[in-house]
Amino acid sequence: MSAPAREPAARLEVAGLAAAYGASAPALREVTFAAHAGQAIAVLGSNGGGKTTLFRALLGELPPVTGTVAIAGTTAYVPQTERSRLDFPVSALDVALMGAYARTRWYRRVAAADRALARAALERVGLGEQVAERFGALSGGQRQRVLVARALVQDAAVLLLDEPFAGVDAMSEDAIMRILDELRAEGRVLLIATHDIEQARRWDRVLCLRGEQIAYGPPAQTLTTAVLEATYGAEIVLLDDGTRAVAVQHHAH
Amino acid sequence: MRWLTDPLSAPFMQRALLTALALSIAGGLLGVWIVLRRLAFFAHAVGSATFPGLVVAGPWGIAPQLAALVAGLGFAGLLTRVTRSGATSSDAATGLLLAGALALGSVLASDVYRSGAGVDRLLFGTLLGLGDADVWLALAVALVAAAATAALARTWLATGFDPAAARALGVPAGRGDWLLLALLAATVVAVLPAVGALLVSTLLVVPAATARLLTSSLGSLLATSVALAAAESVTGLLLAYHLDLPPGPAIALVGGAVFALAALAAAAPWRRGARARVAA
Repeated sequence: MSAPAREPAARLEVAGLAAAYGASAPALREVTFAAHAGQAIAVLGSNGGGKTTLFRALLGELPPVTGTVAIAGTTAYVPQTERSRLDFPVSALDVALMGAYARTRWYRRVAAADRALARAALERVGLGEQVAERFGALSGGQRQRVLVARALVQDAAVLLLDEPFAGVDAMSEDAIMRILDELRAEGRVLLIATHDIEQARRWDRVLCLRGEQIAYGPPAQTLTTAVLEATYGAEIVLLDDGTRAVAVQHHAH
Repeated sequence: MRWLTDPLSAPFMQRALLTALALSIAGGLLGVWIVLRRLAFFAHAVGSATFPGLVVAGPWGIAPQLAALVAGLGFAGLLTRVTRSGATSSDAATGLLLAGALALGSVLASDVYRSGAGVDRLLFGTLLGLGDADVWLALAVALVAAAATAALARTWLATGFDPAAARALGVPAGRGDWLLLALLAATVVAVLPAVGALLVSTLLVVPAATARLLTSSLGSLLATSVALAAAESVTGLLLAYHLDLPPGPAIALVGGAVFALAALAAAAPWRRGARARVAA
């Protein structure tokens, strides 16, 4: 589960980052971490803690107020599937093809090579049979896999995944877990926003946010009672004398 | 057969048919984006928001199409501005600005310019009494709508599908949205003289909403929407000619009837199995 040591250069380097919406006070401050090829980082924090703000800053949608973001290669965003319009007239293949839009000139059709790539990506996430299915008609887990396939078509060096296991059936969870491990083996960097502290222990690093960076490091050393309390405040419930913790989330939106 | 050919010999009918077909291309194509992006209220509101422009056009000596276009684009621009912060929802802002535009138009029409002509043109349209400028504007928006759909379909599709993720896909979401609203405003202005402000949905919403019941891929949606718009406006025009009806409302009634038939067909027992499979 540890990162390959042979590639020392950081793929993603964030130093002293603060990001804000418009002219308001920074929603996230003092974030400093580096991720090497093949590392998967769990991003923990309560709603409004800065996970989305961090992702938007890494995508270049929010220019840093202070600090720097350096990324070697392209960055892809894998959103939660309920954010998308399920009534849209798009098939699984259409959605995967969106990964090729950035490299398709406005006056051309999506290249045949990219269509083949999109089919292969869907095949890879186990949806080779569902290529022509309407996106909205797929199960939550299948939709999540289509969005991962779209990131594969983008050929992103860094993938930002927003709660990839939320509302996902067991079969899809296994499939997504397997594909994420494959992506790490290929040297891609994964940032996985999650509410699941147990699942976070599975990844190489954890990044804890609460308006600012609380902690960053290997899960075993980082996920201490003190760090979890600082990350979640009153929302944390400690089990088994503090060896296990559950974050209680109040979904307000 | 004479029922079909007689009307075509009259120059005013040829002009009306040409304009209706051009508007069917523009309205049918953009209608798909209106329906997919839930902009029907916006399209309806832009039509009414041209009111103050039409009122001042005569007294100020400017072409009514130009005055309406400026008013429509101004409405779209203001709406983008008001909703940008996210504090006011898009439909609330549309309602707010619509009321403002109508009120301003009414005050100008009754107290300042005492003009009734703008109001007539706004409400009812005159497909059988079009000027050259109306025909040219219709042809121009048809051309631009076709070109824009070819160039921007991917941007509009990705942005509508998931606005938050669209920028991360490298799609010019902001510019695409701005262009869509501007093009919509221009198309509404072109549709006004034909069917009137209260019936812009006849060409801009009804055919696309009907097509949505019948097909579910983007390409066939666009084609079906244009074909329905063209068939409905030609049928409506012929009915208006023979039965001496106002053409705008005649087209609107045909469109409504076709929608009702499509809705019945979509809900029919022999199709229910297919729909259930899709929804599962």
